Amino acid sequence: MNKMINSCTAILDRAAEKFGQKTAFCDKDGEISFSDLKSRALKIGTYLLDNTGASKTRPVLVCMEKSINSVVSFMGAMYAGAPYVPVDCNIPRTRLEKTIENLKPAAVITDTASRFDGFDIDAVEFDTASEYCADEEKISRALMSVCDLDPAYIMYTSGSTGVPKGVTISHRAVIDYTLWLNDTFDIDETSVIGMQSAFHFDNSVFDMFITLYTGAKNYIIPEILFMYPQKLIDYMNENQINTIFWVPTVMISMANSSVLSGDNTLPPLRLILFAGEVMPNTQLNIWRKAFPDAVYVNMYGPTEVCDIATYYIVECEFENHETLPIGKPCANMKAIILNDKDELCGIGEQGELCIGGSALALGYWNAPELTNKAFVQNPLNKYYHEKIYRTGDLVYKNDEGNIIFIGRADTQIKLRGNRIELGDLESAASAIDGVNSSCALFDCEKQEIVLFLESDEEIVQRKFKLALRQYVPAYMIPSKIVTMSAFPHTPSGKIDRVLLKNNYL
Amino acid sequence: MNISETISEFVKNQFEIGDDPDFNNDVHLFNEGFVDSFGAVEIIHFVETTYNIQITQKDITLYPMNTVNEIAAVVEQKLG
Repeated sequence: MNKMINSCTAILDRAAEKFGQKTAFCDKDGEISFSDLKSRALKIGTYLLDNTGASKTRPVLVCMEKSINSVVSFMGAMYAGAPYVPVDCNIPRTRLEKTIENLKPAAVITDTASRFDGFDIDAVEFDTASEYCADEEKISRALMSVCDLDPAYIMYTSGSTGVPKGVTISHRAVIDYTLWLNDTFDIDETSVIGMQSAFHFDNSVFDMFITLYTGAKNYIIPEILFMYPQKLIDYMNENQINTIFWVPTVMISMANSSVLSGDNTLPPLRLILFAGEVMPNTQLNIWRKAFPDAVYVNMYGPTEVCDIATYYIVECEFENHETLPIGKPCANMKAIILNDKDELCGIGEQGELCIGGSALALGYWNAPELTNKAFVQNPLNKYYHEKIYRTGDLVYKNDEGNIIFIGRADTQIKLRGNRIELGDLESAASAIDGVNSSCALFDCEKQEIVLFLESDEEIVQRKFKLALRQYVPAYMIPSKIVTMSAFPHTPSGKIDRVLLKNNYL
Repeated sequence: MNISETISEFVKNQFEIGDDPDFNNDVHLFNEGFVDSFGAVEIIHFVETTYNIQITQKDITLYPMNTVNEIAAVVEQKLG
């Protein structure tokens, strides 16, 4: 009998029953089966219930190396009825402080508790919690208070004022996304997935839940291998990886590194998905030549939906200079394009992409004002409650009904798959001693951030970058820093960004 | 020159580090901003060709290779 799936833990319950001792996840230290994953997660869940205040309004932060243990921790938090919140192990201290302040978590599960010394948070060692005695009855009682519209996970993203925003996603969103993936793509027990995404990016939702739902085997690829394209190919060959969902930056660097050409032995890839930023056809065409029989899918989704909102299966040929569409909405999603009068755009007319549907976030955690600004009533509907998220992405619809991405309406950028508010970087730079003012610009052609500093002192680039690392993640560090004693200003007194752009980029 | 010294010389020249007083054989090359991620491939290529060894994906996954001394230790182990 098929039981209704009403939470992410029900997906794991089903997997443990259906796939049992089959291997679910592998990492550099070993592997874990579907049923063992469930047993270990139940231990964590029971520990959290007995020793912390974990609940649907008291989330569980997880700060771990990219590993099987991360998955066990996430599932454990959800068995305790609490949303999981993955954070980067290398998160700067000030950002971690701001995150904890906003989140007010019940506890953090970590492999290095000492990292949380001096923080007002209960740090739980993974090894302690995962050895605890599981109490299934207690777990069932805790789950009775959780319904499918309660939060499953919270992921923090860059905010323009330097305060990170916690995007809160429901169980229903994860379930519908997973069911849609299962209906749309050829993923099953014979699939061997090579996981690229870090767990604090929402592409990881694909890797975790499609593995659990379909019984695929998932290799959690060690992050370090992405620095060495040929070693990465060796790894994929050894493990016979046939399915990937990667961020374009990684695919671009693979294509540029010649490992996909010549007579190099290549893995048996049959399904290649990508999302997170624009995928250029120049590099995609190198992939298509190397793996001519694979299915390629360009996917699109802001963090404010559960991973993906629209997708495009690449079926025809594209010239290098052409733009790949981001396609049409997933079955449970809706995409509308609004002009500046909040009217529906016609074919070819440029407007802002707005997203609705069951995978939409519940909002930003503990930030009602920000939530109300970004998640609004659909202006085309005055009859019932219907929220849409205004993405800030400028798009148009072509003759085939496919959506084409053009650019941003503001200063948010995408760099190597990471979403960055340039204002966030400017706030951090201005906080460093010796800086009077700062201005961050994005060089689209070179795909790099250039940071301008107004300072009377000599700035040593390497040291300044290290100082910045205290405030912002490594992916936000600019490639180029230009120091000047005085910024040019516009007649209205603002920094003349256009002049800086014209003179330096 | 021993292995650490050879690697250290290569890194200093290749990545224009000069006489930076913060540089030494135990400094984290990537976190401290001396080498970017693209440079990692160049360093591995250098030791593979200089010492005629193969650094495998398993070596990279299992052993830290973030400092000159850590890289030298892997090379030494390979040379037996």
